[in-house]
Amino acid sequence: MAAIEARALDVGYGGRHAAVKVLAGLDLTVAAGSFLSILGPSGCGKSTLLRVVADLLDPLGGSISVLGETPHAVRSRRDVGFVFQDSTLLPWRTVRDNVRLPLGVGQRSLTRKIEDRSTELLELMGLGGLSERLPHQLSGGQRQRVAIARALLGEPKLLLMDEPFGALDEITRDRLNDELLALWRRTGTTILFVTHSIAEAAYLGERVIVLAANPGRVVKDLDMRSLKQEGNRCRREDAAIVAAMAELRAALERAT
Amino acid sequence: MRQTPLSPQMTIALPVLGAASILIAWQYILPLLGVPAYIVPTPTAIFGVFQRSFALLIDNLRPTLIEALAGFVIGNLAAVLLAVLFVHSRILQAAYFPIVLFFNTIPILALSPIIILIFGIGMTPKIVIAAVICFFPTLVNMIRGLDSASDNEHELFRVLSATRSEIFWGLRLPRALPMLFSSLRIASATAVIGAIVGEWIGSDKGLGALIIQATFNYQSDRLYAAIVLSSSLSIALFCIVVLIERRVIRY
Ligand SMILES: Nc1ncnc2c1ncn2[C@@H]1O[C@H](COP(=O)(O)OP(=O)(O)O)[C@@H](O)[C@H]1O
Ligand SMILES: [Mg+2]
Repeated sequence: MAAIEARALDVGYGGRHAAVKVLAGLDLTVAAGSFLSILGPSGCGKSTLLRVVADLLDPLGGSISVLGETPHAVRSRRDVGFVFQDSTLLPWRTVRDNVRLPLGVGQRSLTRKIEDRSTELLELMGLGGLSERLPHQLSGGQRQRVAIARALLGEPKLLLMDEPFGALDEITRDRLNDELLALWRRTGTTILFVTHSIAEAAYLGERVIVLAANPGRVVKDLDMRSLKQEGNRCRREDAAIVAAMAELRAALERAT
Repeated sequence: MRQTPLSPQMTIALPVLGAASILIAWQYILPLLGVPAYIVPTPTAIFGVFQRSFALLIDNLRPTLIEALAGFVIGNLAAVLLAVLFVHSRILQAAYFPIVLFFNTIPILALSPIIILIFGIGMTPKIVIAAVICFFPTLVNMIRGLDSASDNEHELFRVLSATRSEIFWGLRLPRALPMLFSSLRIASATAVIGAIVGEWIGSDKGLGALIIQATFNYQSDRLYAAIVLSSSLSIALFCIVVLIERRVIRY
């Protein structure tokens, strides 16, 4: 079963009568358990695509199934985790209480079945000593780690990440890339990862797609698995990766 | 060029010295300039009223305190509740917010006689005036505050399948608190103004009444003492609000 199957998907804002479609006739199949990187110029509809998958926005036409069901059914079971570019931590909650947000929110039938793994997740994300801090006392990288821990608390089958490391310095970003890959290998979660960085997309993705704008559609679909070792492992400077980056750059330039 | 910041001792010492210098000038230089005591009494004369007529001042402070406090609580509570209603029903907000806006344009001094006509001469009309004067800024701030959570924050809660009440208690309300407290801080002063204005028009008790009586009787030391007491009341209310705010908002 595919994690995501979109056929002739039309998406726009402003309801059925929306004058402009942000995504038009988008076809996309994402294998369960895979790591998909999404590149594209600003405003091409990357965030919009994630919103449709997460059932935050209804498509205007076409069909989409997530984990074999409607996006709504999947969201209602809370099988989706979302990580935003700005970590979206609640400033009045401590680090631990931010991570525990999914325990206190949502219908009881949902919250009852997840256990409080906050201690384990904080440890895993290297935040062990920071659990009683408030978000404004953290660095950007630490805040993003908290956001990831929060998204993982409900053990989502699908993790949607919208430029999660876009505001971080390069060293922190590279480190979080490796931590994310390690998490993905351990959990088998399907990840959709939107980024502006070609290098990051190539390093992380088993597959990279490039979207073009007006209307948003897939203009490049690159399978990276043959370029990488077992377990989606590679080094950033591998010749094959560098060549793939050049290919992606060319596609991105055409799309912009 | 940026100035170097003052040391902590200086940031406390300088305002104290500043106030002291003005008090000293007031005490010793103003009489030398020939300003008569019935227009501006000296600080020691005003302080003398606190010693001589302490019971009188406290007797008049009490009703004003009660009216201002009750008006503060009622006005702000009503504003908060209406704001909650408005953000949950855009239809109600569209229908009634313009009317609230219109009422806000009526000067409180013009509204006060009507309120006194309606509620008579007891404490009630003063409480109502204090409440009315607190109401509008808090309503506007609270509506804005309840709407101030970002799109991402709302999406975060939706991804978690949060209910409306969870979004309210877990997101909208905490987001609104900073704005609520900034209007409560303003209301701590305006509630006292409301109570005093009410007492001007129809009362023989309270700091407002004392101010009016002292003015007509040329008891300017008593007048100034009443003024000092009114502003002390505002400051005390303000400090209570700030203390609560510090406990509630820790970020
Ligand atoms: N809430 C919204 N209402 C109306 N238009 C929107 C909204 N969000 C995004 N858009 C428009 O949809 C297009 C795609 O936006 P988005 O998906 O955020 O792009 P990306 O994430 O690729 O930068 C943009 O042209 C943007 O202006
Ligand atoms: Mg975006």
